[in-house]
Amino acid sequence: MSAITAHHDDHAHSHEPSFAQQLRSNRLGLWLFFFSELFLFAALLVARFFLWGGARPELSQVLGLIATSVLLLSSFFVYRAESAMAHGDRKTFQSGMLIAAFLGTLFFIGVVFMEWNIFGLQGEIAGIELFGHLKPTDGVFGAVFYAMTGMHALHVLSGIIFLLIVWNNGRKGHFSSEEHWGVEAAALYWHYVDVIWVFFYPALYLIGTAG
Amino acid sequence: MNDKKAAAYRLGFTTLGILAVLTAVEYIVGVYIPNPAVWLIILALVKAGIIVQNFMHIARLWREESH
Repeated sequence: MSAITAHHDDHAHSHEPSFAQQLRSNRLGLWLFFFSELFLFAALLVARFFLWGGARPELSQVLGLIATSVLLLSSFFVYRAESAMAHGDRKTFQSGMLIAAFLGTLFFIGVVFMEWNIFGLQGEIAGIELFGHLKPTDGVFGAVFYAMTGMHALHVLSGIIFLLIVWNNGRKGHFSSEEHWGVEAAALYWHYVDVIWVFFYPALYLIGTAG
Repeated sequence: MNDKKAAAYRLGFTTLGILAVLTAVEYIVGVYIPNPAVWLIILALVKAGIIVQNFMHIARLWREESH
C-alpha cells in the first residue's frame, strides 16, 4: 500500500511545474492584467479628449510637474530595490522599497490634499499655487479630472500597500536573489502606475488652452 | 560590487536621467509652444517605452530566464 502511495506522490511531483515555468506564467498573467487595465485608462483618456477637446481646466502646471517628478523618482527607487534583491543586496532593497513607498505617499498627498484640496485650503510658495480649486461638480472639467486622478490615485494607494507588504516580507527574509517573484510583481505594478501617469500628466496639465 | 549589479544600477541612473530630461522638455513644450498636443503625445510614448523597456523588462516575457 505504502509503495502505491509513494508511486502516486512521485507521479504528482513530476507534474509540478518548475519555478522557471511558474515564473513565466506569473509574468504573462500580470502583463495580461496590465493589458486589461489599459482599456479602463484608455477609456478615461478618450473621455478627456472627447469632452474637453482643445480646452483644459485652470490647474497649477508646476504642481503637476512636481507630482510627475516624484512618481518618476519613486519608479527609479523601485527599480533599484528590485535590482538589489536580484543581486542579494538586502539593505539597498529595503531602503529602495521604503523610499519608493514614501515618494508614492507624497504623490498621493499631492493629489488628494493639494490638487483635490479636500480641506479647502489656500496658499502659495514663490507664486506657485499649492491648492487646487476644481470641484467634481464643475461640469465636464471636474467630472473628467476627478475620474482620471481618482482612478489613478486608487492604483497608487494599492501600489503603496503592495510595496510595503513586499518590503515587510523581504525584511523577514522571504525572498532570495534567485526567487523573488513578489518583489518583481510589486515593481512591475508600480512602474505600470507610473506609465499611466506619463499619459495622464500631459493630458490633464499641458494639452489644451486653460479656461 | 559585482559587474552585473553595477550595470543594473547604472541602467537605473541612466533611465532616470533620460526621463528627467524628457519630462523637462515636455513641460517646456507644453507651457511655451502653441498647439503642443502632437509633440506631447510623442514624448509620452517615448517615456512610456523607456519605462516599459528598462524598468519593466518587457523582454523577460519572451526570454527563457529565471531571476
